[in-house]
Amino acid sequence: MKLNIEGLLVYFPYDYIYPEQYSYMLELKRTLDAKGHGVLEMPSGTGKTISLLSLIVAYQRAFPLDVTKLIYCSRTVPEIEKVVEELRKLMEFYAKETGERNNFLALALSSRKNLCIHPEILHANIVVYSYHYLLDPKIADLVSKELAKKSVVVFDEAHNIDNVCIDSMSVNITRRTLDRCQNNVDTLQNTIQKIKETDAAKLREEYRRLVEGLKEANVARETDIYLSNPVLPDEILKEAVPGTIRTAEHFVGFLRRFLEYLKSRLRVHHVVQESAPQFLKDIFDKVCIDRKPLRFCAERLQSLLRTLEIADIADFSAVTLISNFATLVSTYSQGFTIIIEPFEDRTPTIANPVLHFSCMDPSIAIKPVFQRFQSVIITSGTLSPLDIYPRILDFRPVTMASFTMTLNTFNVCLCLVALSSKFETREDFAVIRNYGNLLLEMSAVVPDGIVAFFTSYVYMENIVASWYEQGILENIQRNKLIFIETQDAAETSMALEKYQEACENGRGAILLSVARGKVSEGIDFVHHFGRAVIMFGVPYVYTQSRILKARLEYLRDQFQIRENDFLTFDAMRHAAQCVGRAIRGKTDYGLMIFADKRYARADKRGKLPRWIQEHINDGSLNLTVDETVQLSKHFLRQMAQPFRQEDQLGLSLLTLEQLESEEMLQKITQIAHQT
Amino acid sequence: PTEPFALIICINPRLMRHLFVVIDCSRSMEDQDLKPNRLTSTLKLMEAFIDGYFDQNPISQVGIITTKNKRAEKLTDLAGNPKKHIAMLKKAVDTVCVGEPSLYNSLKLAIQTLKHMPGHTSREILIILSSLTTCDPANIYEMTKTLKSLNVRVSIIGLSAEVRVCTVLTRETGGSYHVILDESHFKELLMLHVKPPPTSSSSECSLIRMGFPQHTIGSLADQDAKPAFSMSHLDSSSGPSLGGYFCPQCHSNYTELPVECKVCGLTLVSAPHLARSFHHLFPLDAFIESPVEEHQRNGYDFCQACQGELKDKSIFTCPSCRSVFCVECDLFIHDSLHCCPSCIHSQTAS
Repeated sequence: MKLNIEGLLVYFPYDYIYPEQYSYMLELKRTLDAKGHGVLEMPSGTGKTISLLSLIVAYQRAFPLDVTKLIYCSRTVPEIEKVVEELRKLMEFYAKETGERNNFLALALSSRKNLCIHPEILHANIVVYSYHYLLDPKIADLVSKELAKKSVVVFDEAHNIDNVCIDSMSVNITRRTLDRCQNNVDTLQNTIQKIKETDAAKLREEYRRLVEGLKEANVARETDIYLSNPVLPDEILKEAVPGTIRTAEHFVGFLRRFLEYLKSRLRVHHVVQESAPQFLKDIFDKVCIDRKPLRFCAERLQSLLRTLEIADIADFSAVTLISNFATLVSTYSQGFTIIIEPFEDRTPTIANPVLHFSCMDPSIAIKPVFQRFQSVIITSGTLSPLDIYPRILDFRPVTMASFTMTLNTFNVCLCLVALSSKFETREDFAVIRNYGNLLLEMSAVVPDGIVAFFTSYVYMENIVASWYEQGILENIQRNKLIFIETQDAAETSMALEKYQEACENGRGAILLSVARGKVSEGIDFVHHFGRAVIMFGVPYVYTQSRILKARLEYLRDQFQIRENDFLTFDAMRHAAQCVGRAIRGKTDYGLMIFADKRYARADKRGKLPRWIQEHINDGSLNLTVDETVQLSKHFLRQMAQPFRQEDQLGLSLLTLEQLESEEMLQKITQIAHQT
Repeated sequence: PTEPFALIICINPRLMRHLFVVIDCSRSMEDQDLKPNRLTSTLKLMEAFIDGYFDQNPISQVGIITTKNKRAEKLTDLAGNPKKHIAMLKKAVDTVCVGEPSLYNSLKLAIQTLKHMPGHTSREILIILSSLTTCDPANIYEMTKTLKSLNVRVSIIGLSAEVRVCTVLTRETGGSYHVILDESHFKELLMLHVKPPPTSSSSECSLIRMGFPQHTIGSLADQDAKPAFSMSHLDSSSGPSLGGYFCPQCHSNYTELPVECKVCGLTLVSAPHLARSFHHLFPLDAFIESPVEEHQRNGYDFCQACQGELKDKSIFTCPSCRSVFCVECDLFIHDSLHCCPSCIHSQTAS
């Protein structure tokens, strides 16, 4: 159908539209009009992707000078494929409606096997790829730096964007890294020696270039051709590479010294935590390395690798990592912390020293993106509370809105079961038995698949072991098969496959998995694959970790976000992600069970997405196991009644005429919940 | 005519149904959300179903299968006698519900018999499933293919919740799938299966021979009367009788109709049976409702059927013979009789 969204003609490749999709497009258009950034939350399964694509493509056609490119970032390869599929539908619809072959070029970057290096791709109108291509400085430099300023950037499934940012800027150095780095440096030295004998002119040429400094890069940045790279700070562009590392041999010698210093730092017996300036002072005292050459380290290494014409960069990942670390640590005095741990917490006897150079400020990695592109849209099914994202990512959005699903019937049954799993009481025998009873009772009334989430692998192992001892596991197995997610990826995908098979052929199965694990993030349990999701406990992050403590401190000092607020926010977004796995569309239905009485508290409830909060009523709070069973039985029977599309029409599914009625437009304006 | 006669009748699958009812007797049937429990409630409703089924489909047959403990067994074989089924259902109340049901084994058992049924009859399976799981020795989707190729229609009534495998099974075989809300809804859903399902276009029609034996009452005074055993009661203990229905082909004696002659294989029915079966194919048109005053002006104030005075506010007129009926008679004609008595009368008169 063809829609008129505040004067913009939008081609929408389906005959029906959900009211919230219309509302979403409306907000999106306003964001683009204002050339600003936006945060939009809409539940999964309501056609977010197609709404985004239709509107932005229409916008591009209407105002080709204002928006030249759409950069669509998603998380995983299957998600990228889904986007491409929708895009294809949209393009076919355009071809059919307008009758002309369109000259839109879309490009999806997924893996190396699909790589195309044709120059035309630079002019693609739509680029679909993974977050890392834009956020990770190492990759972004290769892939994304030539993207035009007038692009619209969309981060889909962006509820974890702060963690992606942090991961992309953090560096972990182990003994193994240093050993491999040592090898790299040796190889470099040998290559330099060889080249010196055969082609000394090349090295001289490089030297000359380095004296001139990084003018080229500076010119490029000033003329606004490239996306800036956080690893390449502004100051160094204006200066020449310092003399101490200008010749190749000197630089290699410099790297050696730096490496030796790092090795000495890893020979600690107790945990060390220090800030970047402290680290720099220490390195100056011990091995006389100045801040300035360190800052040029990454760029100097790139130059050397180019000069030596080394084809396989992958072999040099260790030395690249170390040099990036050198540049980062000397550039940013804030937002990072260095923690050296001589052993892992769980195995205090085995020496395994790690140097964590940990980023605490997600805004550092994403800053160039916000600065460069005129519109950045952050969207996901779970972004509540909306105002926290602009704060931790340090940007100013023009629109922040949360949309809810309009449904003719409630296809979600939410139960908050009053059981406790506080850290102190969670080893309690009675608590574990209560959890077991809940799962046992549910396994008898829920058909096909149940997914149960625990807060951590260790906790899950403990619980399953005690269930086994108490005989609960045996009773559950009379109703359904049990599969368990483990940290081994191959094992987990095998378990997942068998789980789906059991759901398909009527055997019924339970999948025990972990919040923040692979299953909770990337796998959808449509229809019968997930008729119920049970969240045991509140998935707080492991608070004893030093990195987390440092980050919480930083958040408190820099952004005035209280520790508890952030932890709860983080726990609730993961809980919402977990339970959201089961509802993937309007015809889907499922039970969502939060098995912890802490969920009933206002501070937790308030941080759940609005589309989940709407289902909470007095009848679903503080239930006992028996009440939950009765509620579920009733709900499942109701949901099994025949479902017809006609029932939806006009209420949650609209034709063009219905959409254009005055009354509906009134209603739609109420869907978007502005904050 | 004094001699009983046989006729050749065009028959299609909606007239002659072969239905297996599979009753889940697994552990979950002990659940007490239906009173007193699921099993007792189901069996009670099944009795009503059997009665209704033979009332509406007099020349059809039913068999009952129970499944528990991963096995399936026949409670009664495919037969046209409601009394036998009901007696077995009454006995089954004491069944101990254990283990899990097996859809695969139940279906396999049912098609062993159904696949021998001729093509002009329907092959149907109705499963009453309480459990949410099934324990199968082989892939159930292979079985679905077999069922499809044999033209067997599988319908399921779920007592707990929607189960994926049932959705697929019924969708593939063209059956219906419902889940009950409560006991009255259960009854409603079960009674839906009393009516024959709509036929697919591919179903064949064929001509079969049928006997219409007349009932003869022999008296001891009659010299020619020979006492005979009823063929259908050979296995039971009832003694010989003088009268009964005699097969027009081989003169075997039967006390009840409809029945398939055990000697010559002829289907023996009576005309009302056939008429009742036919009404699904040729339903009687609805009568036209109008206010009573209009007709009283014309002088009609008696119902054509019961001859009672028309006292209610509205009356019903048959669209073909323009006869007038009261509301009770209208209901009776449409629900039980399936033909307009006035029309029949005028046909025989002319």
